[in-house]
Amino acid sequence: MSSDPSTTLDRTGLSPPAFPKIRVRGLGKRFQVGKAWVEAIKAIDLDVQAGEFICIVGPSGCGKTTLLRILADLEAPTEGEVTIEQSDPSNPLSSMIFQESSILPWMSIRRNVAYGLELRGVPAAEIDKSVDRFLALTGLDRFADAYPHQLSGGMKQRASVARAFANNPEILLMDEPFAALDEQNKALLQEELLRIWSETRKTVIFITHSIDEALVLGDRVIVMSRRPGRLKTEFKIDFPRPRRVYDLKANPEFGRIGREIWTLLREEVVGP
Amino acid sequence: MTVQARSLVQITAPRQTGPTLLDRMRRSSLLMAILAPLAILIVWECLTRVGLLDQRFFPAPSSIIVSLFALVESGRVFIDAAWTIGRMLVGFVFGAVPGIVFGIMLGLSPTVRAFLQPVIAALYPVPKIALFPLIMMIFGIGEASKWAIVAIAVFFQVFYSTLAGVVNIDRIYLDVASNFKATRWQLCRTIAIPGALPFIFTGCQLGIGMALVIVVIAENFGTQVGLGYLIWQSWQVFEVRDMFVYLLMVSLLGYGSQMAILRLQRAVIPWKKDDAG
Ligand SMILES: Nc1ncnc2c1ncn2[C@@H]1O[C@H](COP(=O)(O)OP(=O)(O)O)[C@@H](O)[C@H]1O
Ligand SMILES: [Mg+2]
Repeated sequence: MSSDPSTTLDRTGLSPPAFPKIRVRGLGKRFQVGKAWVEAIKAIDLDVQAGEFICIVGPSGCGKTTLLRILADLEAPTEGEVTIEQSDPSNPLSSMIFQESSILPWMSIRRNVAYGLELRGVPAAEIDKSVDRFLALTGLDRFADAYPHQLSGGMKQRASVARAFANNPEILLMDEPFAALDEQNKALLQEELLRIWSETRKTVIFITHSIDEALVLGDRVIVMSRRPGRLKTEFKIDFPRPRRVYDLKANPEFGRIGREIWTLLREEVVGP
Repeated sequence: MTVQARSLVQITAPRQTGPTLLDRMRRSSLLMAILAPLAILIVWECLTRVGLLDQRFFPAPSSIIVSLFALVESGRVFIDAAWTIGRMLVGFVFGAVPGIVFGIMLGLSPTVRAFLQPVIAALYPVPKIALFPLIMMIFGIGEASKWAIVAIAVFFQVFYSTLAGVVNIDRIYLDVASNFKATRWQLCRTIAIPGALPFIFTGCQLGIGMALVIVVIAENFGTQVGLGYLIWQSWQVFEVRDMFVYLLMVSLLGYGSQMAILRLQRAVIPWKKDDAG
């Protein structure tokens, strides 16, 4: 596995564009906690090409969420810069799927999924079409008119996945979106995500604490160090696509890279 | 559950028998609700009959009921009640609407909060009724001054509840709105208002209670109608039986307005887990 990003667009047969979709340079974030400062992430450099699927793994508390929130413009960095290229200003640039439950309790599931489109004033017929599609894809069509408190945690998480997809952004920022799901639902949604992604060619940054998940989904897997989080090592994953979750797990190469990543993460958590 | 020898624990389903009359009575909340007042009335009646309560201040409930029928028959009390309700409602709306608007503005913007909250906090402790003479100077002794004093009292209740409601909205929902690029107005409409709605309703309940207190006092001045006026009037002519009838009507009005707001709340907030039954 090389860490050379120049071949990541081979699938499309295009040569890589001069400017990456997302360009991160020297990014750092410190939080003030009382009188002390907590350095969450430090000196992060990252280039993500348009249409690429990046997975980030790292020990908990290493700053993964912080990095994503900065990319989503929900948090300002204390150092460095992020440049994102927007190809169509009439479409939303990025949508975030939050780690914790972020479905609005006062709206039905249907209105939650429609939220982004409604705010943008998309015509009702178009909203309905898109919302119906993603409700069906996430298996929530029968719960469209239910309120969130009537749904399980996993279903709410699926609704927030549907909400982000329905909004049709150029970049999806996904913060451990499937962590709360059971094994079967997780595998189904992973395959669904890959299918939608291959259709729509969105740029995805996907955070997970599951090495298997990262290997199943990503073009590249980036391992973060413990706090303050830096990008430690990068693996280029070129299992052929379309990938099927359980076929892939039987591949010996899958186990080999998985072990390598696990060794790195272990060093970060317990020291070498 | 019975615990037997050698620590065998047995859990059995309760015997399925039809509810006894006593069970049914216990379950009827209406019956339970009127039991205590009924008991008080009976004791009261007995105490006046045997002369332990002074009839001049606490006329026998039976004689109050006689007055009640007389007053209801004349129909006048309903006109008075309507005036009182009207003053309450007008004042309530003029107080609650700005209360909600300011509560949301201050709740969403730390800058506006820093700017306006000290002023509001300084005015809040002034007993509202102490402002009434000033209000009458400004608005005259007619209806406007009554609406104004009720509005002022309602404003503070609704304002503080709304503010607390907005400030307590989970930050994640603000992040969601911001991530989906909600405008300021969309943030109010889709996050701040629905998120604070349970608190807003609590404020309205406190507010309507306050409105009734204020309106009854205010009706002592510059008016010839209203339940408050009738109470003050019956004091002047020492008509205690009538006074009790008016007090009863005021308390029914208070109870009814609370129930109306509760009903409205249940209709408007369908997403809450059904905790209020
Ligand atoms: N708003 C904040 N204020 C103070 N500290 C924060 C804040 N957000 C995150 N942190 C700290 O930054 C570090 C990284 O947090 P986070 O990005 O959530 O980690 P991860 O998502 O990798 O588990 C943690 O030590 C956390 O306590
Ligand atoms: Mg996190």
